[in-house]
Amino acid sequence: MASLITCPHCGQRPKEEFAIKGAALARPAPDAPQGEWYDYVFLRTNPRGRYEEYWHHVSGCRRWLVVTRDTASHAVEDCRDAAERAPT
Amino acid sequence: MTSYRLNQGGLVDRATTLDFTFDGRSFTGHAGDTLASALLANGQRLVGRSFKYHRPRGILTAGAAEPNALMTIGSGGRTEPNTRATMQELYAGLEAVSQNRWPSLDRDVGALNSLLSPFLGAGFYYKTFMWPAAFWEKLYEPFIRKAAGLGRATYEADPDAYEKVWAHCDLLVVGSGPAGLSSALTAGRAGLRVILADEHHALGGSLLSETAVIDGVSAPEFSARCVEELRSLPNVRLLPRTTVLGWFDSNVFGALERVQKHVAVPAANRPVERFWRIAAKHAILATGAEERPLVFGGNDTPGVMTATAMRSYLNRFGVAPGKKVAIFTTNNSGYALGSDLESAGVALTAIIDSRADGPAYSGQARIIRNAVVTDAFGGKSLTSIRIKHDGRFETMDVDALGMSGGFSPVIHLALHRGGKAQWSDERAAFLAPDDLKGIALAGSVTGAGNIAESVAQGSTQAAGLASMMGKSAAAMSASVEGEMENRPSRPLWFIPDVIGKAFVDFQNDVHRADLKLAAQEGYGHVELAKRYTTNGMATDQGKLSNVNAIGLLAQARGLSPAEVGTTTFRPFYTPVSFGALSGASKGKHFQPVRKSPLHDWAAKHGAVFVDTGLWYRSAWFPREGETAWRESVDREVLNVRSNAGLCDVSMLGKIEITGRDATTFVDRVYANGFAKLPVGKARYGLMLREDGMIYDDGTTSRLGENRYYMTTTTAYAAPVMSHLEFCAQALWPELDVRLASVTDQWAQMAIAGPKARTILQGIVDEDISEAAFGFLAAREVSLFGGKLTGMLFRISFSGELAYEIAVPAGYGESVADALMALGEPHGICAYGVEALGVMRVEKGFITHSEINGTVTPADVGLGKMVSRTKQDFIGKQMLSREGLSHPSRLRLAGVMPLDPAHTFKGGAHILSKGAEATLENDQGYVTSYAWSPTLQSPIALALIVNGPDRHGEEVVVWNGLLNEFTPARICDPVFFDPANEKLHA
Amino acid sequence: MPDLIHRPALTKEPLVGERIRLAPMPEGTLLEVRGPQAELPALEAAADAAGLVIRTNGPDQWFAISGQPMLRLDLPDIFSVTDQSHGRVRIAMEGAAVDDVLAKGMAVDLFDFKIGAATTALIGHITTHIARLDRDRFELTVLRSFAESLWHDLETMSAEFLDR
Ligand SMILES: [Zn+2]
Repeated sequence: MASLITCPHCGQRPKEEFAIKGAALARPAPDAPQGEWYDYVFLRTNPRGRYEEYWHHVSGCRRWLVVTRDTASHAVEDCRDAAERAPT
Repeated sequence: MTSYRLNQGGLVDRATTLDFTFDGRSFTGHAGDTLASALLANGQRLVGRSFKYHRPRGILTAGAAEPNALMTIGSGGRTEPNTRATMQELYAGLEAVSQNRWPSLDRDVGALNSLLSPFLGAGFYYKTFMWPAAFWEKLYEPFIRKAAGLGRATYEADPDAYEKVWAHCDLLVVGSGPAGLSSALTAGRAGLRVILADEHHALGGSLLSETAVIDGVSAPEFSARCVEELRSLPNVRLLPRTTVLGWFDSNVFGALERVQKHVAVPAANRPVERFWRIAAKHAILATGAEERPLVFGGNDTPGVMTATAMRSYLNRFGVAPGKKVAIFTTNNSGYALGSDLESAGVALTAIIDSRADGPAYSGQARIIRNAVVTDAFGGKSLTSIRIKHDGRFETMDVDALGMSGGFSPVIHLALHRGGKAQWSDERAAFLAPDDLKGIALAGSVTGAGNIAESVAQGSTQAAGLASMMGKSAAAMSASVEGEMENRPSRPLWFIPDVIGKAFVDFQNDVHRADLKLAAQEGYGHVELAKRYTTNGMATDQGKLSNVNAIGLLAQARGLSPAEVGTTTFRPFYTPVSFGALSGASKGKHFQPVRKSPLHDWAAKHGAVFVDTGLWYRSAWFPREGETAWRESVDREVLNVRSNAGLCDVSMLGKIEITGRDATTFVDRVYANGFAKLPVGKARYGLMLREDGMIYDDGTTSRLGENRYYMTTTTAYAAPVMSHLEFCAQALWPELDVRLASVTDQWAQMAIAGPKARTILQGIVDEDISEAAFGFLAAREVSLFGGKLTGMLFRISFSGELAYEIAVPAGYGESVADALMALGEPHGICAYGVEALGVMRVEKGFITHSEINGTVTPADVGLGKMVSRTKQDFIGKQMLSREGLSHPSRLRLAGVMPLDPAHTFKGGAHILSKGAEATLENDQGYVTSYAWSPTLQSPIALALIVNGPDRHGEEVVVWNGLLNEFTPARICDPVFFDPANEKLHA
Repeated sequence: MPDLIHRPALTKEPLVGERIRLAPMPEGTLLEVRGPQAELPALEAAADAAGLVIRTNGPDQWFAISGQPMLRLDLPDIFSVTDQSHGRVRIAMEGAAVDDVLAKGMAVDLFDFKIGAATTALIGHITTHIARLDRDRFELTVLRSFAESLWHDLETMSAEFLDR
């Protein structure tokens, strides 16, 4: 985990200001097969390396962010507003 | 007592004499002394007993790595054990006490452990205390606990203040020796924001102990000039007494400043310690190098010291190490010491050099090359050493011995983020890896051998960073005279013909034979050897011992130190007090308190408050003559049910939802339908998680076409707000919806009971009769003849005719006062969260006791609420999983004891009548329990296998903790007024 | 009809030191405004006309502030306005040591925090909106229920600079 995160709106902030939800997965369509929903709700990869997560700048701008970070080196590659993220 | 203080020299202020005590005896020292230098000046050599063998120990170093001179400083709540005397500044009135000895330092019973040493070798914990198993708890552990351990913590509260602080800089320089000063100056002159931190109270590092001449002035004078210039630069912050002790992600460094650890009574308005978090764009580590001891017999005898330490006491503190000194060295460090000792007039008997080719030496002392010290003797104070040279042994009477096994660069910080140390044969040392990002190294931490090289390195590194940041910097150089060139040592791990115990880790009493044994017994891997022998596991974390241990393991296993490798370096570099880690977060600052706008109102009505998360909630309002809390609660419940009551519900989460798509949004976040909720109406809403379990509940009112007022439970106010923001921003950014937390804007109170309407009508301007303001009406209302606007909701959590009214928080107390005054003739009372809880259990309403993450709407009897027609809502897809409608699921039911005199507790389990208390027989558990004054019986809500179909069945409520079996009956969870007649009264 | 008394959340005497001064501010008008960033000029014009000052509070969100109570801000539907006049409490903080005091609780680098800048950040454990009004002058805005706790924390943080 990084000590400082650069929020696209607020700049560099300490991790204490954020809450982490977990994997930044795209929510399936309402009519998607149940298997797809099952994977979305329950299945997580646990990679050593690049990982996209939802972080919430709770004690700042209160925007949800997608943080791309390396779980081994803790380096943050990217941090962007969740609303701007193209669904993957 | 002999004085070892020299008549002149050093940086102590001989005009200022400071009194202090050690083990109750009075001593004096000078301003500028450390406790260690003052003790040495007084001839106090024996300063502690070792951890395991209780061997007499003396001061070994002059810095942070000190393993022996650990003392308890201060008294009462300010007692601080394991303080390194080498780091403790002397102050008038300092009280120091030695540790790990009984009854006294001089006569110590634990020293008998030395006689048991054959049984206390490597792995002795694992070998000795294994059997019989029963002995562990009764005999072995208490014995180990008593015998082991360093200082004792005090049981008194620490009276002092601590704080944490953030700092930001372009460049953090760690260490203020020649490389640190040149880095800071170069960067500071270039206009960078610089922080220079050093763990000692005086800045200058090794320069303070140096006799070389730099740019025509003495080394301390050179350093003082640099510091003075740094102090004059507004963009430079100097942090003396500050240990940088961790390098963390994002180039954040942790540092501990000892603000007032050098005064007898700290000023109350300032912290004693300050924990810095320094966000540095770059850092230069100019942390220097630690001199290694040599591993010969009796190398722990008081009077044996590292050569650098001896030189520091001599040059910086004006303290002679002894009357007759010898030096055992593997490198030129010993010659620098020798020359300084002779200049100061201290008798130097010999320099014993393990090499054949030491430097030329112009002093009087005898130089013995190709020689080693095999043993030192003297017990509590060194008396003689045994030397081997030219194939023979020679004994020499000396009272002090300086030793130098070479230098280990202090690379700890550079390795805190996972880097691995690299062994360099050329430098005979472990060096930091060269692919570090965010930090650079300069000075002897890189293996640099002299002052000029260090100054140049520091300046070059800083100038490079400055130009990277677009600033131009002038490089700095220094001309140095009279310095002993320090070529790398030739490592000397194993000294032959040793008689006594040769210590590797002084603090944990690990000696050479322990490491050999570890290797023999298959624990030669560096990480295993550490655990097996405890080498490097003491509070000094092996600063002096690790490299020697690695060298010896390498030798024992026939490998090179590079192949053995190091153990992992982790923060903190030196121990940190808990006080500093918690900072100001103690007492009332431990966590924030949230106060309701009706707090003072509740307090004046005598409320007893209870912590609910961060909130203080009024729990009940005792009246005169009421002795037990339940008396008050029972009265409040009965009064609400027969008259009326007022309860503060301001801490419920309140969220205003607006925007063109507000309706769509609300409809999607609740499981039940909201699209058709008319303006002016409230609806109970059930929020699910994506896995179909209930997340939270509350009422949401439609105050306008695109304006909703949502309430959440108190506990989930913050999580629900975050969840809604997630839905709005991450899931459905295409919806036009805005969320605002208005929890703090409104004072909200529940007015419940048959008289509620009459009382409330007294302040509400509009008609609130049943016809005009029926059940679930929700509207903005005018109050007090138009003086105030509030929001009124006809909702009930008690089953009574009830309202919740929200008014701007600043007027909350006034409105509550008015309602209480108007209600007085009607018998209104204030009621708290306990009475509220009893009434909701009586009505079978759920809270987070029931919504515990495992229940679906159907489990709590709300399955019919869930929309069948909505295309999407949070939780819809997973809720349709087959297992979630299985009849064997735990579902909500009521439980009452057969005999109202019997009680049980929340969390108790339900067993079928006659069934044994086994896991297989478990039928569910009690979620909420209350005494119902209305029914005059205990009542409970429970989640029970197939609960709704078992009303009337006799069961047993089993409390496994108290082993109580209470006969009870399953019943409808709505205990009171199931037809809701009172609600609509 | 009973008298309606407005009770401020913070009834504290100002804290005074040579290099730091703290004082609760009058609870006037504080509106939380949300809307598209592009429409900010319209918002500023309307606020100006209403006697309110606009401070940024993150993307697409602002505070409209005045020491006067009960001010209204009429805006087109594209904006949402939520009255937080009672839900937020403002504290004035000024003096030469103000940066040093704030650094004890907050990780924002005030060196780069220009006059006129505003943001929300953690001070200790409490989320606080801070605005720099001048080199040595800040205004802190905090949830009403946290106001007393924040005040206590600020008092502790300021202790070394206070006249006691
Ligand atoms: Zn942010």
